[in-house]
Amino acid sequence: MAVQTVISDQVLAAAERLIVEMRSGNEHQAAQALDELVRAREVSLFQELGKLTREFHDALAGFRVDSRVSDMAEKDIPDARERLNHVITMTQNAADRTMSAVEHSFPLVEDIANVAVNLRAQWQRFQKREMNAQEFRELAKSIDVFLGTTETKSADLKSKLNDVLMAQDFQDLTGQIIKRVITLVEDVEANLVNLIKLSSNKAVPVNTHPEYHESIKAEGPVVPGVVTHGAVAGQDAVDDLLSSLGF
Amino acid sequence: MKILIVDDFSTMRRIIKNLLRDLGFNNTAEADDGNTALPMLKSGDFQFLITDWNMPGMQGIDLLKAVRADDKLKTLPVMLVTAEQKREQIVAAAEAGVNGYIVKPFTAATLKEKIDKIFARIEAAA
Repeated sequence: MAVQTVISDQVLAAAERLIVEMRSGNEHQAAQALDELVRAREVSLFQELGKLTREFHDALAGFRVDSRVSDMAEKDIPDARERLNHVITMTQNAADRTMSAVEHSFPLVEDIANVAVNLRAQWQRFQKREMNAQEFRELAKSIDVFLGTTETKSADLKSKLNDVLMAQDFQDLTGQIIKRVITLVEDVEANLVNLIKLSSNKAVPVNTHPEYHESIKAEGPVVPGVVTHGAVAGQDAVDDLLSSLGF
Repeated sequence: MKILIVDDFSTMRRIIKNLLRDLGFNNTAEADDGNTALPMLKSGDFQFLITDWNMPGMQGIDLLKAVRADDKLKTLPVMLVTAEQKREQIVAAAEAGVNGYIVKPFTAATLKEKIDKIFARIEAAA
């Protein structure tokens, strides 16, 4: 560095003079040369220290401007926590909904199966001509009842299977939420890497995901506790908005 | 009627496919984003497109715009089924010429209602 070279030349000149004056036995001049040496050294040290302080200040200021670290700590990390909590709630609800549908369906299938086993035994007796007219009339009545209940229970079962099907929508919605949290984690990682580089004075602007703040891009599902500006409240509000637009 | 279902999550595609089958629509095909869907639409004889918005690659809104910009496809009925529900997004979808907009999570009844409405309107216009 240029400043250092100038100072080194001064120091070198003072040192050479110091040796010359000492050899000549000029104590006073030698002391002056020594003082000059010490001063030059002090100036160099203060200049270096000043420069370092300025660089450190600039780097810190630049880091604050370039990065989203404080944004992340204040807003995005709590948001991510809400999002992940919402994921837990959604998976819990989906599991509950599925289990309820399954628990409701088991007795339906068991009832149909039990009555079918019983009817089959009687039907076999009829085929072997072991049944009298009164018993056959009762069998015919049982079959009629069975067909009726089977129809009702099948419809019930179908509706429960539909519940199980619809409960799986959590996978899409939680997947979208988790993808957003992954994006945030990547941004945090990039900023931490930058912080480490900063300590070796190699900070570079962090390329965080720009789409994060663009409004017309996809935002993912609305999460309770996370403010989404401009979101409408559900299908009815969407329908109202569309009909106001002439739909 | 031949329907193309576009969503990056296979679970959602299967849900929609099963609901459509229950409504009597058995002829469906699937794609996982706009980039895959567009060539399928151009080469196939689809009569209805159901698409998600938020997908990697080409998003649903861009697929909708690409469909409207294509001479062969521009009259294809398009329904968005999406978790996106910001006011300006819905307005943007309407401006791009969407025929229906369903917000996730939705019910089987909502899907039926919106499909019926879309085709009733198309029939009335014909």
